[in-house]
Amino acid sequence: MLAQVEVPTFWSEPYNSPALWTKLVVALLIGLAVLVGLMYAPVRARRPIVAVVTFFSGLYWVMLYAWPIPINRQDNQLPNGPVEAVGFWLKDSNSVIVSFTQILTALLFGLGIYSLLRIHLQRIVKTQRDWGFSVVLLACMSLMVFFGYADWNSRLGERGAMLDNPANWGFVNFGRDFLFEGLLQQMDAAMFSVIAFYILSAAYRAFRVRSVEATILLGTALIVILSLMGAVSGLWDDTIRSAANGNTFILNFQLTTIADWIRNTFQTSSLRGISFGVGIGLLAMGLRIWLSLERTGGSA
Amino acid sequence: MKYEDYLIWRMGAGVLATIGLYSVLYKENKLYRFFEHVFLGLASGWTLVALWTETLQASWWDKMIGTATQDGKVVNGSWAYILLLPIGLMGYFVFSKKHNWMSRIPIGIILGLYSGQQIQVWWNTYGPQIAASAKPIFPTTFTSLTVPSKEGLTPEQIAIINGNVYTSQAVTNFLFVFTVLSVLSYFLFSFDVKNKALKFSTTSGRYLLMIGFGAIFGSTVMMRFTLLIDRMYFVFDEFLKQGILRR
Amino acid sequence: MDGNKLQSIPKPILYLLLILVTTIPLFADLSVPNKPQDAAIDLYAELMKLEPGSTILIASDWTGSTRGESKGAFRAIMKILMRRGVKVAFYSSADPQAPRVYQDALTELNKEHVAEGGKPYERWSDWVNVGFFPNAEAATNGISQDLKGAFTGRKDFPPGSVPKDVFASPVLEGKEKVEDFKMLLVITASKTSNITVERIYGKTPLAFAVTGVMVPETQVFYQAKQLVGFSGGLKGVLDLETLLETGVNYPDKATAKVKSEKYDTIEGFPGKKNKGQGTKYYPTLHFALAFMILLVVVGNVGMIMSKRQAAAGGAK
Repeated sequence: MLAQVEVPTFWSEPYNSPALWTKLVVALLIGLAVLVGLMYAPVRARRPIVAVVTFFSGLYWVMLYAWPIPINRQDNQLPNGPVEAVGFWLKDSNSVIVSFTQILTALLFGLGIYSLLRIHLQRIVKTQRDWGFSVVLLACMSLMVFFGYADWNSRLGERGAMLDNPANWGFVNFGRDFLFEGLLQQMDAAMFSVIAFYILSAAYRAFRVRSVEATILLGTALIVILSLMGAVSGLWDDTIRSAANGNTFILNFQLTTIADWIRNTFQTSSLRGISFGVGIGLLAMGLRIWLSLERTGGSA
Repeated sequence: MKYEDYLIWRMGAGVLATIGLYSVLYKENKLYRFFEHVFLGLASGWTLVALWTETLQASWWDKMIGTATQDGKVVNGSWAYILLLPIGLMGYFVFSKKHNWMSRIPIGIILGLYSGQQIQVWWNTYGPQIAASAKPIFPTTFTSLTVPSKEGLTPEQIAIINGNVYTSQAVTNFLFVFTVLSVLSYFLFSFDVKNKALKFSTTSGRYLLMIGFGAIFGSTVMMRFTLLIDRMYFVFDEFLKQGILRR
Repeated sequence: MDGNKLQSIPKPILYLLLILVTTIPLFADLSVPNKPQDAAIDLYAELMKLEPGSTILIASDWTGSTRGESKGAFRAIMKILMRRGVKVAFYSSADPQAPRVYQDALTELNKEHVAEGGKPYERWSDWVNVGFFPNAEAATNGISQDLKGAFTGRKDFPPGSVPKDVFASPVLEGKEKVEDFKMLLVITASKTSNITVERIYGKTPLAFAVTGVMVPETQVFYQAKQLVGFSGGLKGVLDLETLLETGVNYPDKATAKVKSEKYDTIEGFPGKKNKGQGTKYYPTLHFALAFMILLVVVGNVGMIMSKRQAAAGGAK
């Protein structure tokens, strides 16, 4: 379909050729025309349009799973009948579908950036409260875009691999490193580590032995935490080992053994129970979205 | 400037940003707000860069217009990739009051592609787990209550021990299977049940669930404290001790 | 003593104490005993089983946000692979920052590896960056169904040349499908671990290095043998660093520091720079955890005292 081939086909044309540019422009115009056309779609047609698009997108993966796919297929092998032809087509389309999904997701990623720009530009233009912070945000975004792109661009030449060594860096490489490694990564780490303070405060204020459930939760958490503390579990286990004197039953009372038993017997099984429950829910929701029965999915 | 000197400046900036972000622990303040916006700006800027350099350039642009390498290899361009641009643009109609329904077309495509995978995903994930949950709950030997010590035994003797189910193992396996089923029943029968056996099962499920949550809490605490320790190490050891004081 | 007071220590004091508890022990040269968990021993054994020159896939999905744990795991794993000369194709599907993060971390590691006398572990010939995939579900399914198609068009930098298709590199030479890789290792702080099991399980051995919070859910996969091994949280990092130093049943079963019934002798790398974040941070983690336990006990004692005081007050 859209596979890259050296011989020109309906779907592909030689690099930088007039034929390719013509097809690109025509396809873009058709795409934009459809977009404009959809703007005038009647209200009652909207829901079916979204439902059809959603259904056919999901149909590919359902068919790939359910349809017999040929194994040990040789290069240039012709399909043996229509069933195998569909199997070949499903297999060959995989890279295109995956690629399309990546591109579409990447284009939709931009939505978050667009939203951020919209809010902060509005705040600056209207000089709303704290508009200065919006200037800081946009300035940092611009700086990162400049240095990030310039750094990548500097690696595209023949010296690309050499830039893995900081001794060969130029201004833009230092700029990117300072912003990315020096600031962004450190701030990312700081942002996430702040939660430790809140979790400590929450544990201190909320962890009370008030009910059976709370007591079980607290007890398990305590055993898991203590078993993770090598100094405590080491001391405990050494004491048990010397007291057991080879008695395998007493050895079961080592802290690491108890923690392992809880982990393997109750923790894994209870999480598996949760996981099965969630899995059934996800499967049901997947089907509902695919068939546009879920209002948050394919409805309009 | 030497690279080592540059590293000190780089770390210094990171330390300043860390202190700025931590200042929120005292109260919301201007310094925190400043660094919060720096963080958002840098993160969104990098997302823009990476989406192009790591994904769109190779997966979209190059495939769409083709490529010509220095060794003379020419790859054709596939014009149909341009059609993704208008489809992607439809997502941006989410901000339009009149046409925001159109944003559901690209989102519907992504959701459709996601939901279509769920059948395959389900069996791959849960098939082996269902099999692993079916454990023997009856002992096959009563020679010992617990699993005997394997120290000093021959591989054949160890194989015999490993092949048997001892009473303690059978009890553990029963508890495992019971926990899976009762937690699952707690989820499936979340409405008010009249059947006594089912009620016992769902109540047990709720208690057993707490063991899972307790373990999750223990692990979460470990993670959060580790991230904090990493920051403290960065500020006090890497920057202050090894960077500033050692110079 | 007033039970209510015990239950209401002001937040700034708690925060200040936590900072002190997580800082002061870092300056003391402390070490704690450690018994590696089975999952980490299995991961180490699987990594040590890889033949020099063989290739594995690594989905490196961590960034600065979890560097306290993930960077330690990444470094310990890469030390094993670098020392054994195993090739790696890296990709990410969780965060656009991830590819830059692992490339920077590799630069740092390579410098240390060369400093301790190792052969340089170089881009293109030893490792290759396949890049970022924004849709993790589709990318992982693509890798599972048609790896060649999923990676087509991705480029990396060979020495002295303009970027070339990753399949031209010695790392991906002859690789057509995911089954051609000896292992897929996911180093992650997000759901990409689940996404990988859901889509790739059964095609190539899977192993994970996850953050602490993900340990319980990863244990579920490990117990069902969907994973050949995993390293979880800082404990997992410490386990790997311990194993790098001691090996398993090494030098022999009688004198080994880490023993396992499951394996014969697996070498360690004594004398090399094996210690890292796990060894550095773990003793301090003890103090932080002990501090939290103490606070929970104080809070509960306060609650009991308050109840008694209220009951005594009511009786009067």
